[in-house]
Amino acid sequence: MARIKFENVKKTFGKVYALDGISFEIHDNEFFVLFGPAGAGKTTILNCVAGILIPDEGTISFNDQLMNLVDPARRNVAMVFENYALYPNMTVYDNMASPLRSKLYKTDENTIKEKVNGAAKMMKMENLLERLPSQLSNGQKQRVAMGRALVRDPNVFLMDEPLAHLDAKLRNAMRTELKEMQASLGSTCIYVTHDFMEAMALGDRIAIINKGKIIQVGSGDEIYYMPTNEFVASLMGEPQINIIPSTIKAEGNKYDLCFDVLGKEISMEMPVDEKVMAKIDELDLRCADIGIRPQHIQYSFEKIEGYFKATVYSYESIGNKSVIIADCGDYQIRMIAPNGLRVQIDSDIYISPEVEKSIVFDSGSKKYIVRYDEETVKAFATKQEVR
Amino acid sequence: MMNTSKQRVLTALMNILLLIYAVFALFPLLWMVMISFKADTEVFTTTFIFNPTLANYKEVLFRSNYARYIIDSLIVSGGAVLVSVVVGVPAAYALARYNFPRKEELAFQILSFKFAPEILVVLPLFMLYQKMGLYDSYIGLIWVYQLISLPLLIWVVRGYFEDISVEIEYAAQVDGYPWYQIFFKMLIPLIKPGLVSSALLAFIFAWNSFTFPLILASSKVYPVTVAITKYLGTDTARYGNLAVAATVSALPAIIFALFIQKHLVRGLSFGAVKG
Repeated sequence: MARIKFENVKKTFGKVYALDGISFEIHDNEFFVLFGPAGAGKTTILNCVAGILIPDEGTISFNDQLMNLVDPARRNVAMVFENYALYPNMTVYDNMASPLRSKLYKTDENTIKEKVNGAAKMMKMENLLERLPSQLSNGQKQRVAMGRALVRDPNVFLMDEPLAHLDAKLRNAMRTELKEMQASLGSTCIYVTHDFMEAMALGDRIAIINKGKIIQVGSGDEIYYMPTNEFVASLMGEPQINIIPSTIKAEGNKYDLCFDVLGKEISMEMPVDEKVMAKIDELDLRCADIGIRPQHIQYSFEKIEGYFKATVYSYESIGNKSVIIADCGDYQIRMIAPNGLRVQIDSDIYISPEVEKSIVFDSGSKKYIVRYDEETVKAFATKQEVR
Repeated sequence: MMNTSKQRVLTALMNILLLIYAVFALFPLLWMVMISFKADTEVFTTTFIFNPTLANYKEVLFRSNYARYIIDSLIVSGGAVLVSVVVGVPAAYALARYNFPRKEELAFQILSFKFAPEILVVLPLFMLYQKMGLYDSYIGLIWVYQLISLPLLIWVVRGYFEDISVEIEYAAQVDGYPWYQIFFKMLIPLIKPGLVSSALLAFIFAWNSFTFPLILASSKVYPVTVAITKYLGTDTARYGNLAVAATVSALPAIIFALFIQKHLVRGLSFGAVKG
């Protein structure tokens, strides 16, 4: 139950900036997800909140109270470590009871028993309580680590990829459970993950981190529909968004999108959207990267008027659907297809991108410029924030 | 059929070899114990039949200062191990956990104390000790024994600390434990096998040390290893007494070792293997 505020926090390890001027604010009772590629600085942020690391510069405060020099023990945070960090010489029960037995958070043994059993039940591991950590599988260890955090009533839960080593079924179940539990406990939670499904499903808000910097903070939909740059766009979504480097030719009220496919220049008329056209005129935009999600690519194996020709690079199943990747010369286009198609590699495929659902990025800075239907999307994406 | 008979021969052969080795290793000890029960006239006989007598034991244990020598040895060796544990465990922790300039060089320097033969450093030490008033004192011997016990302890325990992931300490911090509780409640149990076994070895090495106490102590401090030489006179060697002194002096180490034999084998190999 705390608001957490980072102001211009910097942390270096040797000459490497792990955190390079990070500022953000986490609201009370918020489920805040830190999302980014490996080595982005997500765990470093968690360690700074926990007090394990002390930032070189900047301030960290809980409820407007400066925390920089407060001991980890006195911050009242509960943390789930990525490598579990269980005490090898204690049983699962004692591991989970350990925070409640420390001097600071002393609780009587009956309450401890109740809480540990409650957490164990939730994690479905009542039968493991007498075991030692060395007798557990990785998924079980992870659940013990979660349990050790959940027995407490902290200012903030810090979770460093707590579901990463669970099997898919348990992971989905725990994801739902976790969200529900956080809502009922009414506690702030900072959650590190590199799984975008998890980020979207759990996060009230998501912060995208890369190279020690915050790239974007927003609700899942905001980030998905209006990514601040191409990096964020490519991070969110599986399969990855298609980026087509293009030029825009304007003639009066008509705008043509031109791009290169297998050495041939393709020209398509851009659908009219006032905001997009206004932005193009305002910036006098001539070069742009067009981002289109794979589900917005139409394709056919027969020639259709208005579709351009490319060759099939690969066809692979991702469960309930498949992904076709088409080779277009300098770049590739991914699209969603049903399972069970008979697709020959290197055969011709005819493609039509739905430009009216695309995002326009600056081709130089790779930053977001505008997207089709921006108003509708904005209304939809921000609606969730007013809770 | 071929296989099993071949195997049986092989096992028999191995057992015979082990037996020969056991006799080879234990016979001198046995002979020493036998001599300790012999009267002076029988010392040089090579038969196993003799008239056992306790005269040598009475002579050594009750009519000389031998008990005092044992106590001196216990004080000096025990003190040395105690100092090594108190100094060595934090040092090992620092070498395992913190990064500071020239860390590896420092660790190697500590190890290098064991490289030079004792006789090489003992003469300069003798002169220094004379000047500093450490000559022939408990503190002086305990100090110089650190050359023997400290490197061993630091290097073994360091390996143990390195095997403990640092997140365990973080987790304990976050759980609300102060540093001293983390150290004594979380870390010490985890390094205990290594600590116990290296401390025992250090004790044995310190107990058996001869060169240092011979030269750096004389009358006030008299460890057993040096005391034994008293029974070697200039004209005669009193073998009976000598055997008693040697037998008794070997007992503490044997008793300790038997007590923690399990720790000893497991302890020394455990820390080294990662994973």
